[in-house]
Amino acid sequence: MKSSLTFHKLFVGLLVIYLLIPLVGTLLFSIAGKWDHTILPESYTMKWYIELFQDERFYDAFRRTLFLIVMSVGLSVVIMLPTIFIITVYFSKWEGLLQAAAMLPYGVPPIVGAVGLIKLYSAGPVQIAGTPWILIGAYFITILPFMYQGIRNSLRTLNAVQLVDAAELLGATKFQAFRTVVFPNIISGILVSTLLSVSLLFSEFAFANLLVGGRFETLQIYLSDKLNSSGHLTSAIVITYYSMILLLTGTVLKLTFRNKRNPVGSK
Amino acid sequence: MSYVTIEQVTKGYDNQLVLNNISLTLKKGEFATLLGQSGCGKSTLLRSIAGLEDVDVGRILIDGKDITDLSPRQREVGMVFQSYALFPNMNVFDNIAYGLKMKKVKNLKSKVKNMIDMVDLIGKEESYPHQLSGGQQQRVALARALVMEPKVLLLDEPLSALDAKIRKSLQKELKRIQKELDITTIFVTHDQEEAMTMSDRIFVMNKGQVVQSGSPSEIYTSPVNTFVAKFIGNYNVCNMEVFRKLVRTTELKGNEVAIRPEVLQLVSVGEDRLDLQGNWGIKGFIKDVSMAGNVLRYEVETEECAFHVDYLHHRGEMFEQGARVQILVPKKECIML
Repeated sequence: MKSSLTFHKLFVGLLVIYLLIPLVGTLLFSIAGKWDHTILPESYTMKWYIELFQDERFYDAFRRTLFLIVMSVGLSVVIMLPTIFIITVYFSKWEGLLQAAAMLPYGVPPIVGAVGLIKLYSAGPVQIAGTPWILIGAYFITILPFMYQGIRNSLRTLNAVQLVDAAELLGATKFQAFRTVVFPNIISGILVSTLLSVSLLFSEFAFANLLVGGRFETLQIYLSDKLNSSGHLTSAIVITYYSMILLLTGTVLKLTFRNKRNPVGSK
Repeated sequence: MSYVTIEQVTKGYDNQLVLNNISLTLKKGEFATLLGQSGCGKSTLLRSIAGLEDVDVGRILIDGKDITDLSPRQREVGMVFQSYALFPNMNVFDNIAYGLKMKKVKNLKSKVKNMIDMVDLIGKEESYPHQLSGGQQQRVALARALVMEPKVLLLDEPLSALDAKIRKSLQKELKRIQKELDITTIFVTHDQEEAMTMSDRIFVMNKGQVVQSGSPSEIYTSPVNTFVAKFIGNYNVCNMEVFRKLVRTTELKGNEVAIRPEVLQLVSVGEDRLDLQGNWGIKGFIKDVSMAGNVLRYEVETEECAFHVDYLHHRGEMFEQGARVQILVPKKECIML
């Protein structure tokens, strides 16, 4: 028993080291002054961070990325939540079709998707190629699988169909049933899906580069540009970006945990 | 005057009839049970009454009002689901108060408190569904439906997820509350014993039809066909030709004969107190003995077929496996089908 536990601990330890080494390396490089022929940096400095935080382009890129994410994820929640709810509860026979549609983004490589989108939206009534709107549309599709799976699983676990039936028999309208019974119980599922989508979109490069490129510089495009000038600065960007994701994850998880302890609607 | 009327209700899914021309009526305050095997259509009929399923043909009336095309919220029926369907984000008080809040009822607090008192949940008002036992959750679901003072209470196998002891005590409690409020109740179950214990009237369903209706005693003692006989009372159902051969008579008519296992008697072969007055005697041997608590069940093999014989379990009175016996079949207890 003891030896098998030791093996498990060793295995998990190795995995943690394997996952952390690149991050630790990046962190060290982002605060390294001189580091070329030693195991650890010879000197440390915060000048890369100071340089980064004094660069207006970084803030602009961050604001643009945030705008794209809030728009895409917000749009996805507003459109997909009622859609998935209606399909799951009232038109379950169409569920397969929705699932297939939601999984499509996995089957289309970003390059193929981007080329198709550019071709489609360069001419005709909706000329949005090269604008952030095309990117929002593409991001909406990119995060579809996460939003769909997360929300649908929450509805299934909840047995939403029966809860809506019960609420309706007690005098609630369909909308009241959704607002007072279903939504408060799937909010943690929505938060998890949103978090996954935000993390994915923060690090999205292919669509951003191909669809808008330098015309609407996002964080990833800024990062790619800085990669050519300074490795230290790039590391500082990556660490800043990871810290933000970590902060966001922590906040959402804390919120979810609090919701579980004190369910919504409690007195 | 009937209070609930189901008129020629028919419903199908994918060209298959789930409810086949069902008609039934209930009096006010009656406790009726829809009894049948899984897939017989009993839950679909209940959900049709609740408005959770549309019917293809037919009408449903409550208190003289046609509710066939009304939405569930307009029907004034209460329902307790098999899995209770309690709202996980609300505590006991809020769950029970939910319907009253939707209807913007005044004196909400006192009504909810009275109901909590009735279902014996005092002290649990602040608890959430996941903090309650199955029995307590069932009481909350019942209180939530009853507080709305529905015209008809629908119960969809509400006791099936509970263990035997709690189930028995809740059966009694449910019946007490139903009588106290004099509320017309339709109960769905596949458990014949539960149906017998609780109902004023039973509707036995098979393949989307009501095959027999009547009081528990009528249903148990006078099954109209083989299905009811086998489903309701573990009847011995024997082919008539085989039975005639066993009892050496040509008088009997019908296709099959049904005999309850508890009316049969066993005597040892050669015993001189054998009384064949009013009985037929069939020779056989004990193939198997099983015990179900207070009942001993013998499987007696005869020349042509096997019979089940139920005896109350008295100390020391037991036939051994393999013993040669004679089964006494009371002539008046044989039901020709």
